[in-house]
Amino acid sequence: MSDQATSLTAAPSATQRLASLASAGAITVALTAVLIVLPFLLGGSWTFTLGLCFANSIGVLAVSLLVRYGGEVSIGHTFFTALGAYSVGVLDAGYGISLWASVPLALLLGVVFGIVFAWPSRNLHGIYLAVTTLALALAVPEMINNLDALTGGYEGLYVATPLIPGLDMGLQRYYVALVMLVAVCLAVARLRLSRQGIALLLAKTHPAAADAFGTRRVWARLSILAISGGIGALCGATLAFSGSTVSPGGFTFWQAIFLLVGSVVSFYGLSMPRVLLGGAFVTLVPQLLSSSGAWIPVLYGLALLGMILLGHYLPRIRKALNRSSEAA
Amino acid sequence: MTFWDSLIYDLFPLIWSGMITGCLYALGALGLVMIFKCSKVVNFSHGNVAGLTAFLVYGLSSGMLMSLSWGAAVLLAMLAAVAIAFLIYSIISPVVFESDLTSTIATLGFGLIAQGVTLLVFGADIVALDLPIPRFAMSVLGLLVTGYDLTVLVIAIITIGALFIVIDYTKLGIAFRAISSNPFAAEVCGLNLKSVHYFAWISAAILGVIGALLIVPTTFLSVTTVATFMLQAFAAAVIGGFASLPGALVGGVLIGILMNLFTFYVSPEYSSTFLLGVILVALNIFPNGILQKVGGTRV
Repeated sequence: MSDQATSLTAAPSATQRLASLASAGAITVALTAVLIVLPFLLGGSWTFTLGLCFANSIGVLAVSLLVRYGGEVSIGHTFFTALGAYSVGVLDAGYGISLWASVPLALLLGVVFGIVFAWPSRNLHGIYLAVTTLALALAVPEMINNLDALTGGYEGLYVATPLIPGLDMGLQRYYVALVMLVAVCLAVARLRLSRQGIALLLAKTHPAAADAFGTRRVWARLSILAISGGIGALCGATLAFSGSTVSPGGFTFWQAIFLLVGSVVSFYGLSMPRVLLGGAFVTLVPQLLSSSGAWIPVLYGLALLGMILLGHYLPRIRKALNRSSEAA
Repeated sequence: MTFWDSLIYDLFPLIWSGMITGCLYALGALGLVMIFKCSKVVNFSHGNVAGLTAFLVYGLSSGMLMSLSWGAAVLLAMLAAVAIAFLIYSIISPVVFESDLTSTIATLGFGLIAQGVTLLVFGADIVALDLPIPRFAMSVLGLLVTGYDLTVLVIAIITIGALFIVIDYTKLGIAFRAISSNPFAAEVCGLNLKSVHYFAWISAAILGVIGALLIVPTTFLSVTTVATFMLQAFAAAVIGGFASLPGALVGGVLIGILMNLFTFYVSPEYSSTFLLGVILVALNIFPNGILQKVGGTRV
């Protein structure tokens, strides 16, 4: 696994790793190039849907990042997406301020509230933290509705101020989401190489060793939730701009579970293609099944189970296949 | 005088009704704790599966699927709950022994499926499902005690008492406790982990059905009613320490009373936020549950 800071098993040779990294990079670059020209080939509604897809991908990435670097599962990331979305929504609808100011504000709020939530839950691990994030997710719609003077309550807010005045709004909604996704993916790739990223991975895999090297567990927890919360808020900000509306319906408890489902479906991947897979799943399944709403939870549940069982049985099947091919 | 009046006319009835709902939270929490104690999995599908079985009782007794008597419908729904619990555990059991967090996420998947199936079979309508109990009310020391209150209290005491007797005095209960405190040693001694896990999952499902059937008469039955109710059960289990059955009982009653007082005296609109606060405070002050001494860390 690449999220292991230290590995005792024989590592693949450096050239092999470089080659695989280069090919992964090439795939990401090719994918980005395709996505850049896509709006000129597709209709307006598909452009809109893809924009939402990118936004949800960022949210999936935030959840996966917490799993990979923090070893914790969150069912409450709608709290952070709501923070980001309402920073954009309130600044736009209330004051007519565009993304130039609201995105930094969203990021700041996400980071600050990530720490605010992380501090009281700093000693909780595994399922205890999961249940606490569950309670957090449940509190979100209630907070939004009760702050209706600011958030517009049930009706929500409409985001219409363009980032660059004069340009086609549909295209702006698409490209802003794409740029955000690429930027976040690049930042996460940088994090893997940074001192902080390595310290976080060490704190996750070998807490005692990390302690000895000066990375305290509380610090690791606060920083990973701050990073993940910040990215979650960016997801919300992008959702608000690309989806053009912000309402409590987008930040329900189920939405939080769907983000986790997307993360599991992408096998907690942090690379852009994998994250896009998760985001596409979260966005497209409800769209394709909109005529038969009751099938959505069933399909999500089956996908979640399928991926978990696949993750459990695939290594075994592969091993068995290897053994049989060696025997032959 | 007004202070004492409000104490008698507001506070005592609030505590009483909080205790009644608290017993139901405790029934839900006991199921969660039973599963967690031995298999270390938090069963997020608990509420949705219990909701599905409550709908099953409605469907079987109202003539929507069949028109059976209430008792027969409950019996069939119980059987269905047992079958569902058996199925869920059978599917995730290979994952359970590998990672408790992954299997916990898997139970979320089952929760989604149960909710979807409820929607597919019974639709998104709101229905009423009452208990076949005589309607009466009496006044005891200024408290209004209804037939529903007494039914809930009696059934909760019988169920919880039966559960504790099984766990304390039967061979199965001893095996359950052994596996909860040291699964490896228990397996070395020849106990079958899986069969005891099945026992825990199935009894949790039965507790869930009882809790769901008792809570529904206070509101109505919709796809989310029972799932929402189970969230308080989660809070109750957390306050009790998640690994202690008496803790779950105390936590349930405590949550019932606290929620009642909060909605009456502060605000009904922030009840989930209040629940979040209670969970965070409880986990920081009593990291091992309210019934255990503070000390040691949970890893």
